[in-house]
Amino acid sequence: MKIALAIASILSLVLCLAAPILFFLDAMSEANFKLVLLLASLAWFFLSVPWASYRAKKS
Amino acid sequence: MAERLTKFSAAMDRLYEFDREAVTPDKLQSGGKFAGLFAGEHVAATEFVIGAFFVLHGVSARDLLLGLLFGNLLAVLSWTFICAPIAVRTRLTLYWYLRKIAGPGVTLIYNIANALMYCILAGAMISVSATAVGLLFKIKVPELDAVFPASAGWVAIVFVFGAAFTAMAILGFEKLSRFASVCSPWIFAVFVAGAVGALSKLGVTPDLANLGSVLTTKVWNGVAVAGQEKFGFWHILFFAWFCNLAMHVGLSDMALFRYARKWTYGLYTAFGMYPGHMLAWICSGIMVAAVGRQMNPGLMAFEAAGAAGIGAVVLAGWTTANPTLYRAGLALQTVTPNWPRWKITLLAGTATTVLACFPVFFMKLLDYVALYGLILMPIGAIVFTEHWIFPLLGLEQFRAEKRGWAFHWGVLGVWLGTLAVCFLLPLHLYYKWLPGWFIAAAAYTALTAAARRTS
Repeated sequence: MKIALAIASILSLVLCLAAPILFFLDAMSEANFKLVLLLASLAWFFLSVPWASYRAKKS
Repeated sequence: MAERLTKFSAAMDRLYEFDREAVTPDKLQSGGKFAGLFAGEHVAATEFVIGAFFVLHGVSARDLLLGLLFGNLLAVLSWTFICAPIAVRTRLTLYWYLRKIAGPGVTLIYNIANALMYCILAGAMISVSATAVGLLFKIKVPELDAVFPASAGWVAIVFVFGAAFTAMAILGFEKLSRFASVCSPWIFAVFVAGAVGALSKLGVTPDLANLGSVLTTKVWNGVAVAGQEKFGFWHILFFAWFCNLAMHVGLSDMALFRYARKWTYGLYTAFGMYPGHMLAWICSGIMVAAVGRQMNPGLMAFEAAGAAGIGAVVLAGWTTANPTLYRAGLALQTVTPNWPRWKITLLAGTATTVLACFPVFFMKLLDYVALYGLILMPIGAIVFTEHWIFPLLGLEQFRAEKRGWAFHWGVLGVWLGTLAVCFLLPLHLYYKWLPGWFIAAAAYTALTAAARRTS
Protein backbone atom coordinates (compact mmCIF):
# COMPACT_ATOMS: atom_id res chain seq x y z
CA MET A 1 0.00 0.00 0.00
CA LYS A 2 2.80 2.32 0.95
CA ILE A 3 4.63 1.71 -2.33
CA ALA A 4 1.43 2.19 -4.33
CA LEU A 5 0.79 5.50 -2.57
CA ALA A 6 4.37 6.59 -3.19
CA ILE A 7 4.21 5.78 -6.90
CA ALA A 8 0.79 7.40 -7.34
CA SER A 9 1.91 10.53 -5.43
CA ILE A 10 5.01 10.94 -7.56
CA LEU A 11 2.99 10.37 -10.74
CA SER A 12 0.55 13.10 -9.74
CA LEU A 13 3.47 15.47 -9.23
CA VAL A 14 4.88 14.48 -12.63
CA LEU A 15 1.47 15.25 -14.12
CA CYS A 16 1.61 18.71 -12.49
CA LEU A 17 4.80 19.33 -14.46
CA ALA A 18 3.72 17.58 -17.66
CA ALA A 19 0.56 19.67 -18.11
CA PRO A 20 2.34 23.04 -18.59
CA ILE A 21 4.88 21.42 -20.91
CA LEU A 22 2.06 20.07 -23.09
CA PHE A 23 0.46 23.53 -23.06
CA PHE A 24 3.78 25.11 -23.99
CA LEU A 25 4.17 22.64 -26.88
CA ASP A 26 0.65 23.56 -28.10
CA ALA A 27 -0.53 20.01 -27.41
CA MET A 28 -3.06 21.19 -24.82
CA SER A 29 -5.29 24.24 -24.44
CA GLU A 30 -4.72 26.69 -21.60
CA ALA A 31 -8.04 25.78 -19.96
CA ASN A 32 -7.18 22.08 -20.05
CA PHE A 33 -3.66 22.73 -18.72
CA LYS A 34 -5.06 24.57 -15.72
CA LEU A 35 -7.72 21.91 -15.14
CA VAL A 36 -5.20 19.06 -15.32
CA LEU A 37 -2.86 20.96 -13.00
CA LEU A 38 -5.68 21.45 -10.49
CA LEU A 39 -6.76 17.81 -10.59
CA ALA A 40 -3.19 16.52 -10.36
CA SER A 41 -2.64 18.88 -7.41
CA LEU A 42 -5.69 17.51 -5.60
CA ALA A 43 -4.48 13.98 -6.33
CA TRP A 44 -1.07 14.85 -4.86
CA PHE A 45 -2.63 15.94 -1.57
CA PHE A 46 -5.04 13.00 -1.35
CA LEU A 47 -2.21 10.54 -1.98
CA SER A 48 0.83 12.11 -0.35
CA VAL A 49 -0.75 12.83 3.06
CA PRO A 50 -1.41 9.11 3.76
CA TRP A 51 2.01 8.31 2.26
CA ALA A 52 3.57 10.78 4.71
CA SER A 53 1.61 9.10 7.53
CA TYR A 54 3.14 5.73 6.62
CA ARG A 55 6.61 7.29 6.61
CA ALA A 56 5.95 8.99 9.96
CA LYS A 57 4.84 5.67 11.50
CA LYS A 58 7.98 3.98 10.19
CA SER A 59 10.29 6.63 11.66
CA MET B 1 15.26 45.02 38.17
CA ALA B 2 17.78 42.27 38.99
CA GLU B 3 14.99 40.17 40.49
CA ARG B 4 12.81 40.61 37.41
CA LEU B 5 15.69 39.68 35.14
CA THR B 6 16.36 36.57 37.17
CA LYS B 7 12.68 35.65 36.86
CA PHE B 8 12.70 36.26 33.10
CA SER B 9 15.89 34.32 32.52
CA ALA B 10 14.64 31.41 34.64
CA ALA B 11 11.43 31.32 32.59
CA MET B 12 13.44 31.53 29.39
CA ASP B 13 15.70 28.68 30.46
CA ARG B 14 12.70 26.47 31.23
CA LEU B 15 11.39 27.04 27.70
CA TYR B 16 14.62 25.97 26.11
CA GLU B 17 15.31 23.28 28.67
CA PHE B 18 14.72 20.48 26.18
CA ASP B 19 17.77 21.50 24.16
CA ARG B 20 20.00 22.54 27.02
CA GLU B 21 22.18 19.44 26.78
CA ALA B 22 24.54 18.97 23.87
CA VAL B 23 23.19 16.57 21.24
CA THR B 24 24.36 13.02 21.89
CA PRO B 25 25.90 10.87 19.08
CA ASP B 26 22.83 8.59 18.86
CA LYS B 27 20.67 11.62 17.93
CA LEU B 28 22.75 12.64 14.92
CA GLN B 29 20.93 12.73 11.58
CA SER B 30 21.91 11.60 8.11
CA GLY B 31 22.82 13.91 5.26
CA GLY B 32 19.66 12.95 3.38
CA LYS B 33 17.52 14.34 6.23
CA PHE B 34 19.36 17.66 5.95
CA ALA B 35 18.91 17.75 2.17
CA GLY B 36 15.16 17.15 2.57
CA LEU B 37 14.83 19.70 5.36
CA PHE B 38 16.53 22.48 3.43
CA ALA B 39 14.74 21.63 0.18
CA GLY B 40 11.40 22.04 1.95
CA GLU B 41 12.27 25.12 3.98
CA HIS B 42 13.23 27.45 1.16
CA VAL B 43 10.14 27.40 -1.04
CA ALA B 44 8.02 29.99 0.75
CA ALA B 45 5.34 32.54 -0.12
CA THR B 46 7.98 35.25 -0.14
CA GLU B 47 9.62 33.56 -3.16
CA PHE B 48 6.63 34.77 -5.22
CA VAL B 49 7.54 38.34 -4.27
CA ILE B 50 11.36 38.30 -4.31
CA GLY B 51 11.84 36.98 -7.86
CA ALA B 52 9.16 39.34 -9.11
CA PHE B 53 10.82 42.32 -7.45
CA PHE B 54 14.07 41.56 -9.28
CA VAL B 55 12.17 42.06 -12.54
CA LEU B 56 10.65 45.32 -11.27
CA HIS B 57 14.12 46.49 -10.26
CA GLY B 58 15.26 46.13 -13.86
CA VAL B 59 17.98 43.54 -13.42
CA SER B 60 19.36 42.09 -16.65
CA ALA B 61 19.18 38.34 -17.34
CA ARG B 62 22.96 37.93 -17.18
CA ASP B 63 23.27 39.81 -13.88
CA LEU B 64 20.41 37.80 -12.42
CA LEU B 65 21.80 34.39 -13.35
CA LEU B 66 25.36 35.15 -12.30
CA GLY B 67 24.25 36.99 -9.16
CA LEU B 68 22.02 34.11 -8.04
CA LEU B 69 24.62 31.50 -8.93
CA PHE B 70 27.41 33.11 -6.91
CA GLY B 71 25.25 34.68 -4.18
CA ASN B 72 23.67 31.34 -3.34
CA LEU B 73 27.09 29.70 -3.45
CA LEU B 74 28.32 32.23 -0.87
CA ALA B 75 25.26 31.47 1.28
CA VAL B 76 25.97 27.72 1.10
CA LEU B 77 29.62 28.34 1.98
CA SER B 78 28.59 30.56 4.90
CA TRP B 79 26.51 27.73 6.32
CA THR B 80 29.33 25.28 5.67
CA PHE B 81 32.30 27.26 6.99
CA ILE B 82 30.73 29.57 9.59
CA CYS B 83 27.60 28.03 11.08
CA ALA B 84 28.00 24.24 10.79
CA PRO B 85 31.52 23.95 12.29
CA ILE B 86 30.54 25.82 15.47
CA ALA B 87 27.32 23.82 15.77
CA VAL B 88 29.12 20.49 15.30
CA ARG B 89 31.83 21.38 17.83
CA THR B 90 29.46 22.66 20.52
CA ARG B 91 26.31 20.60 19.73
CA LEU B 92 24.34 23.49 21.25
CA THR B 93 21.71 25.90 19.98
CA LEU B 94 22.66 29.55 19.53
CA TYR B 95 20.47 30.31 22.54
CA TRP B 96 22.59 28.29 24.97
CA TYR B 97 25.90 29.19 23.39
CA LEU B 98 25.07 32.90 23.39
CA ARG B 99 23.99 32.62 27.02
CA LYS B 100 27.48 31.40 27.93
CA ILE B 101 29.06 34.26 25.99
CA ALA B 102 26.73 37.20 26.61
CA GLY B 103 24.71 36.31 29.71
CA PRO B 104 20.95 35.78 30.08
CA GLY B 105 20.10 39.50 29.85
CA VAL B 106 21.60 39.98 26.39
CA THR B 107 20.11 36.66 25.30
CA LEU B 108 16.70 37.93 26.42
CA ILE B 109 17.09 41.10 24.32
CA TYR B 110 18.23 39.00 21.36
CA ASN B 111 15.15 36.81 21.76
CA ILE B 112 12.77 39.77 21.79
CA ALA B 113 14.43 41.30 18.71
CA ASN B 114 14.18 37.93 16.98
CA ALA B 115 10.50 37.58 17.90
CA LEU B 116 9.64 40.99 16.43
CA MET B 117 11.51 40.11 13.25
CA TYR B 118 9.63 36.82 13.00
CA CYS B 119 6.28 38.60 13.44
CA ILE B 120 7.02 41.01 10.60
CA LEU B 121 8.17 38.15 8.35
CA ALA B 122 5.03 36.12 9.11
CA GLY B 123 3.01 39.29 8.48
CA ALA B 124 4.54 39.62 5.01
CA MET B 125 3.58 36.01 4.31
CA ILE B 126 -0.02 36.65 5.36
CA SER B 127 -0.09 39.70 3.06
CA VAL B 128 1.14 37.60 0.13
CA SER B 129 -1.58 35.00 0.77
CA ALA B 130 -4.16 37.78 1.05
CA THR B 131 -3.40 38.92 -2.50
CA ALA B 132 -4.60 35.52 -3.75
CA VAL B 133 -7.97 35.65 -2.03
CA GLY B 134 -8.29 39.38 -2.70
CA LEU B 135 -8.32 38.47 -6.37
CA LEU B 136 -11.44 36.32 -5.93
CA PHE B 137 -13.28 39.20 -4.25
CA LYS B 138 -11.84 41.82 -6.64
CA ILE B 139 -10.15 43.67 -3.79
CA LYS B 140 -7.46 46.02 -4.95
CA VAL B 141 -3.93 44.98 -4.00
CA PRO B 142 -1.90 47.85 -2.47
CA GLU B 143 0.31 49.95 -4.72
CA LEU B 144 4.08 49.44 -4.80
CA ASP B 145 4.74 52.48 -2.62
CA ALA B 146 1.82 51.88 -0.24
CA VAL B 147 2.49 52.06 3.48
CA PHE B 148 -1.03 51.96 4.93
CA PRO B 149 -3.88 49.60 4.00
CA ALA B 150 -5.78 50.88 0.96
CA SER B 151 -9.21 49.48 1.74
CA ALA B 152 -11.36 47.91 4.42
CA GLY B 153 -11.61 44.82 2.21
CA TRP B 154 -7.83 44.33 2.36
CA VAL B 155 -7.86 44.65 6.16
CA ALA B 156 -10.76 42.19 6.39
CA ILE B 157 -8.97 39.56 4.28
CA VAL B 158 -5.74 39.98 6.21
CA PHE B 159 -7.63 39.57 9.49
CA VAL B 160 -9.38 36.42 8.26
CA PHE B 161 -6.03 34.94 7.15
CA GLY B 162 -4.27 36.10 10.29
CA ALA B 163 -6.98 34.56 12.48
CA ALA B 164 -6.92 31.29 10.51
CA PHE B 165 -3.12 31.00 10.54
CA THR B 166 -2.97 31.87 14.24
CA ALA B 167 -5.70 29.38 15.10
CA MET B 168 -3.85 26.63 13.25
CA ALA B 169 -0.58 27.57 14.95
CA ILE B 170 -2.33 27.37 18.34
CA LEU B 171 -4.08 24.08 17.61
CA GLY B 172 -0.91 22.61 16.13
CA PHE B 173 -2.62 19.43 15.01
CA GLU B 174 -0.23 16.69 14.04
CA LYS B 175 -2.20 16.06 10.86
CA LEU B 176 -1.90 19.71 9.87
CA SER B 177 1.86 19.62 10.27
CA ARG B 178 1.96 16.43 8.17
CA PHE B 179 -0.14 18.21 5.55
CA ALA B 180 2.30 21.14 5.62
CA SER B 181 5.23 18.78 5.09
CA VAL B 182 3.81 17.51 1.80
CA CYS B 183 3.13 21.02 0.49
CA SER B 184 6.74 21.95 -0.39
CA PRO B 185 7.32 19.66 -3.40
CA TRP B 186 3.93 20.61 -4.80
CA ILE B 187 4.46 24.37 -4.30
CA PHE B 188 7.77 24.03 -6.11
CA ALA B 189 6.02 22.13 -8.94
CA VAL B 190 3.46 24.95 -9.23
CA PHE B 191 6.28 27.53 -9.45
CA VAL B 192 7.78 25.60 -12.38
CA ALA B 193 4.38 24.89 -13.98
CA GLY B 194 3.40 28.55 -13.73
CA ALA B 195 6.65 29.72 -15.30
CA VAL B 196 6.45 27.21 -18.15
CA GLY B 197 2.83 28.20 -18.74
CA ALA B 198 3.73 31.90 -18.65
CA LEU B 199 6.47 31.43 -21.26
CA SER B 200 3.80 30.73 -23.89
CA LYS B 201 1.99 33.94 -22.97
CA LEU B 202 5.21 35.88 -23.31
CA GLY B 203 5.52 34.59 -26.88
CA VAL B 204 8.18 31.91 -26.52
CA THR B 205 7.75 29.43 -29.39
CA PRO B 206 7.63 25.66 -28.72
CA ASP B 207 11.01 25.18 -30.45
CA LEU B 208 12.55 27.65 -27.92
CA ALA B 209 14.18 29.54 -30.80
CA ASN B 210 13.29 32.93 -29.32
CA LEU B 211 13.62 32.00 -25.63
CA GLY B 212 16.75 34.08 -25.10
CA SER B 213 15.38 37.17 -26.79
CA VAL B 214 12.03 36.98 -24.93
CA LEU B 215 13.75 36.59 -21.56
CA THR B 216 16.12 39.50 -22.21
CA THR B 217 13.53 41.85 -23.70
CA LYS B 218 10.29 41.01 -21.88
CA VAL B 219 11.39 39.62 -18.50
CA TRP B 220 14.84 40.73 -17.32
CA ASN B 221 15.22 43.57 -19.78
CA GLY B 222 17.38 45.80 -17.59
CA VAL B 223 14.68 48.49 -17.25
CA ALA B 224 13.36 49.25 -13.76
CA VAL B 225 9.71 50.22 -13.33
CA ALA B 226 8.99 53.79 -12.21
CA GLY B 227 9.98 54.42 -8.60
CA GLN B 228 12.13 51.29 -8.27
CA GLU B 229 15.90 51.38 -7.94
CA LYS B 230 17.90 49.79 -10.78
CA PHE B 231 19.58 46.57 -9.65
CA GLY B 232 22.74 45.02 -11.03
CA PHE B 233 24.91 41.96 -10.45
CA TRP B 234 26.16 43.00 -6.99
CA HIS B 235 22.64 43.72 -5.68
CA ILE B 236 21.52 40.23 -6.68
CA LEU B 237 24.67 38.54 -5.40
CA PHE B 238 24.43 40.24 -2.01
CA PHE B 239 20.69 39.67 -1.75
CA ALA B 240 21.03 35.94 -2.42
CA TRP B 241 23.86 35.81 0.11
CA PHE B 242 22.17 37.72 2.94
CA CYS B 243 18.64 36.46 2.38
CA ASN B 244 19.20 33.96 5.22
CA LEU B 245 21.93 35.93 6.97
CA ALA B 246 20.41 35.44 10.42
CA MET B 247 20.50 31.68 9.81
CA HIS B 248 24.06 31.21 8.53
CA VAL B 249 26.33 34.13 9.49
CA GLY B 250 23.90 34.97 12.33
CA LEU B 251 24.21 31.31 13.47
CA SER B 252 20.50 30.63 14.15
CA ASP B 253 20.83 27.37 12.23
CA MET B 254 23.16 26.01 14.91
CA ALA B 255 19.84 24.60 16.16
CA LEU B 256 19.76 22.35 13.07
CA PHE B 257 23.44 21.67 12.49
CA ARG B 258 24.06 20.48 16.02
CA TYR B 259 22.43 17.26 14.74
CA ALA B 260 24.88 16.98 11.81
CA ARG B 261 27.49 14.21 11.81
CA LYS B 262 30.02 16.47 10.08
CA TRP B 263 30.39 20.19 9.47
CA THR B 264 30.42 19.47 5.73
CA TYR B 265 26.67 18.87 6.02
CA GLY B 266 26.46 22.62 5.53
CA LEU B 267 26.81 21.86 1.83
CA TYR B 268 23.35 20.26 1.93
CA THR B 269 21.89 23.77 2.13
CA ALA B 270 22.49 23.86 -1.64
CA PHE B 271 19.36 21.67 -1.89
CA GLY B 272 17.39 24.61 -0.52
CA MET B 273 19.24 27.46 -2.15
CA TYR B 274 19.35 26.41 -5.79
CA PRO B 275 15.77 25.13 -6.22
CA GLY B 276 14.22 27.68 -3.82
CA HIS B 277 16.35 30.78 -4.02
CA MET B 278 17.35 30.42 -7.64
CA LEU B 279 14.81 28.45 -9.67
CA ALA B 280 11.72 29.64 -7.75
CA TRP B 281 12.88 33.29 -8.00
CA ILE B 282 13.47 32.87 -11.74
CA CYS B 283 9.98 31.33 -12.07
CA SER B 284 8.28 34.17 -10.20
CA GLY B 285 10.16 36.66 -12.38
CA ILE B 286 8.73 35.03 -15.51
CA MET B 287 5.24 35.02 -13.96
CA VAL B 288 5.32 38.74 -13.06
CA ALA B 289 6.50 39.62 -16.56
CA ALA B 290 3.51 37.72 -17.99
CA VAL B 291 1.07 39.96 -16.04
CA GLY B 292 2.65 43.22 -17.19
CA ARG B 293 4.91 43.60 -14.15
CA GLN B 294 2.09 44.01 -11.63
CA MET B 295 3.29 43.17 -8.11
CA ASN B 296 0.36 40.96 -7.22
CA PRO B 297 1.42 37.41 -6.28
CA GLY B 298 -2.19 36.16 -6.39
CA LEU B 299 -2.76 37.51 -9.90
CA MET B 300 0.65 36.24 -11.09
CA ALA B 301 -0.04 32.72 -9.88
CA PHE B 302 -3.66 32.67 -11.08
CA GLU B 303 -2.82 33.86 -14.58
CA ALA B 304 0.07 31.42 -14.85
CA ALA B 305 -1.37 28.32 -13.17
CA GLY B 306 -5.09 28.90 -12.57
CA ALA B 307 -6.80 27.80 -9.36
CA ALA B 308 -3.79 25.64 -8.42
CA GLY B 309 -1.72 28.84 -8.49
CA ILE B 310 -4.08 30.53 -6.03
CA GLY B 311 -3.84 27.46 -3.80
CA ALA B 312 -0.05 27.54 -4.01
CA VAL B 313 0.12 31.19 -2.89
CA VAL B 314 -2.22 30.54 0.05
CA LEU B 315 -0.51 27.32 1.13
CA ALA B 316 2.98 28.77 0.67
CA GLY B 317 1.91 31.61 2.97
CA TRP B 318 0.42 29.31 5.55
CA THR B 319 3.16 26.67 5.63
CA THR B 320 5.82 29.31 6.22
CA ALA B 321 3.82 31.68 8.45
CA ASN B 322 2.84 28.80 10.73
CA PRO B 323 6.33 27.80 11.97
CA THR B 324 7.35 31.48 11.97
CA LEU B 325 4.46 32.28 14.32
CA TYR B 326 5.45 29.31 16.49
CA ARG B 327 9.05 30.55 16.73
CA ALA B 328 7.89 34.10 17.46
CA GLY B 329 5.65 32.73 20.22
CA LEU B 330 8.50 30.71 21.68
CA ALA B 331 10.79 33.74 21.69
CA LEU B 332 8.11 36.05 23.15
CA GLN B 333 7.23 33.58 25.87
CA THR B 334 10.46 34.55 27.58
CA VAL B 335 8.97 37.91 28.59
CA THR B 336 5.62 36.56 29.69
CA PRO B 337 6.48 33.97 32.31
CA ASN B 338 3.70 31.55 33.23
CA TRP B 339 1.62 32.36 30.16
CA PRO B 340 0.43 29.19 28.41
CA ARG B 341 1.64 28.54 24.86
CA TRP B 342 -1.78 29.26 23.29
CA LYS B 343 -1.96 32.71 24.86
CA ILE B 344 1.47 33.79 23.70
CA THR B 345 0.89 32.41 20.19
CA LEU B 346 -2.38 34.37 20.14
CA LEU B 347 -0.45 37.52 21.11
CA ALA B 348 2.18 36.89 18.43
CA GLY B 349 -0.54 36.10 15.87
CA THR B 350 -2.48 39.26 16.71
CA ALA B 351 0.64 41.41 16.43
CA THR B 352 1.53 39.67 13.16
CA THR B 353 -1.97 40.19 11.75
CA VAL B 354 -1.95 43.89 12.60
CA LEU B 355 1.49 44.24 10.96
CA ALA B 356 0.24 42.32 7.89
CA CYS B 357 -2.41 44.99 7.29
CA PHE B 358 0.38 47.42 6.45
CA PRO B 359 1.49 46.59 2.92
CA VAL B 360 4.82 48.34 3.44
CA PHE B 361 6.26 45.15 4.93
CA PHE B 362 5.51 43.09 1.86
CA MET B 363 6.10 45.84 -0.70
CA LYS B 364 9.48 46.59 0.90
CA LEU B 365 10.26 42.94 1.54
CA LEU B 366 13.73 43.07 0.00
CA ASP B 367 14.78 45.93 2.27
CA TYR B 368 13.18 44.24 5.27
CA VAL B 369 15.10 41.01 4.61
CA ALA B 370 18.30 43.07 4.48
CA LEU B 371 17.49 44.79 7.78
CA TYR B 372 16.52 41.52 9.46
CA GLY B 373 19.90 39.99 8.68
CA LEU B 374 21.79 43.18 9.49
CA ILE B 375 20.24 43.60 12.95
CA LEU B 376 21.08 40.05 14.08
CA MET B 377 24.42 39.75 12.27
CA PRO B 378 26.65 41.32 14.99
CA ILE B 379 25.66 38.58 17.43
CA GLY B 380 26.86 35.98 14.92
CA ALA B 381 30.15 37.86 14.54
CA ILE B 382 30.60 38.02 18.33
CA VAL B 383 29.93 34.29 18.78
CA PHE B 384 32.26 33.43 15.87
CA THR B 385 35.01 35.60 17.38
CA GLU B 386 34.65 34.14 20.85
CA HIS B 387 34.63 30.60 19.45
CA TRP B 388 37.54 30.78 16.99
CA ILE B 389 39.56 33.96 17.53
CA PHE B 390 39.74 34.10 21.32
CA PRO B 391 41.55 30.73 21.71
CA LEU B 392 44.05 31.81 19.04
CA LEU B 393 44.80 35.06 20.86
CA GLY B 394 44.79 33.46 24.30
CA LEU B 395 41.73 35.47 25.38
CA GLU B 396 39.44 34.01 28.01
CA GLN B 397 36.21 32.51 26.69
CA PHE B 398 32.75 32.50 28.30
CA ARG B 399 33.47 35.24 30.82
CA ALA B 400 29.75 35.96 31.28
CA GLU B 401 29.09 32.38 32.33
CA LYS B 402 32.19 32.07 34.53
CA ARG B 403 31.56 35.34 36.36
CA GLY B 404 27.77 35.01 36.49
CA TRP B 405 27.11 38.22 34.56
CA ALA B 406 23.47 38.82 33.64
CA PHE B 407 24.53 41.33 31.00
CA HIS B 408 27.81 41.26 29.18
CA TRP B 409 27.80 44.99 28.48
CA GLY B 410 30.67 44.57 26.03
CA VAL B 411 28.56 42.29 23.83
CA LEU B 412 25.57 44.63 24.03
CA GLY B 413 27.79 47.64 23.27
CA VAL B 414 29.44 45.97 20.29
CA TRP B 415 26.05 44.83 18.95
CA LEU B 416 24.46 48.29 19.18
CA GLY B 417 27.66 50.10 18.20
CA THR B 418 28.05 47.97 15.08
CA LEU B 419 24.48 48.74 14.06
CA ALA B 420 25.10 52.46 14.59
CA VAL B 421 28.26 52.35 12.46
CA CYS B 422 26.47 50.31 9.77
CA PHE B 423 23.68 52.89 9.72
CA LEU B 424 26.25 55.64 9.09
CA LEU B 425 28.28 53.72 6.49
CA PRO B 426 27.88 55.37 3.08
CA LEU B 427 26.96 52.07 1.43
CA HIS B 428 23.81 50.57 -0.05
CA LEU B 429 21.71 48.81 2.59
CA TYR B 430 22.49 45.44 0.99
CA TYR B 431 26.25 45.85 1.39
CA LYS B 432 26.40 47.23 4.94
CA TRP B 433 26.40 43.89 6.74
CA LEU B 434 29.73 42.68 5.34
CA PRO B 435 31.97 45.46 6.73
CA GLY B 436 29.66 45.41 9.78
CA TRP B 437 30.62 41.79 10.49
CA PHE B 438 34.34 42.64 10.50
CA ILE B 439 33.70 45.76 12.60
CA ALA B 440 31.81 43.71 15.19
CA ALA B 441 34.48 40.97 15.26
CA ALA B 442 37.34 43.49 15.55
CA ALA B 443 35.59 45.66 18.14
CA TYR B 444 34.69 42.68 20.34
CA THR B 445 38.23 41.29 20.17
CA ALA B 446 39.76 44.70 20.93
CA LEU B 447 37.36 45.30 23.81
CA THR B 448 38.09 41.92 25.38
CA ALA B 449 41.86 42.34 24.92
CA ALA B 450 41.66 45.80 26.52
CA ALA B 451 39.65 44.41 29.45
CA ARG B 452 42.30 41.73 30.00
CA ARG B 453 45.06 44.34 30.11
CA THR B 454 43.06 46.45 32.58
CA SER B 455 42.39 43.49 34.86
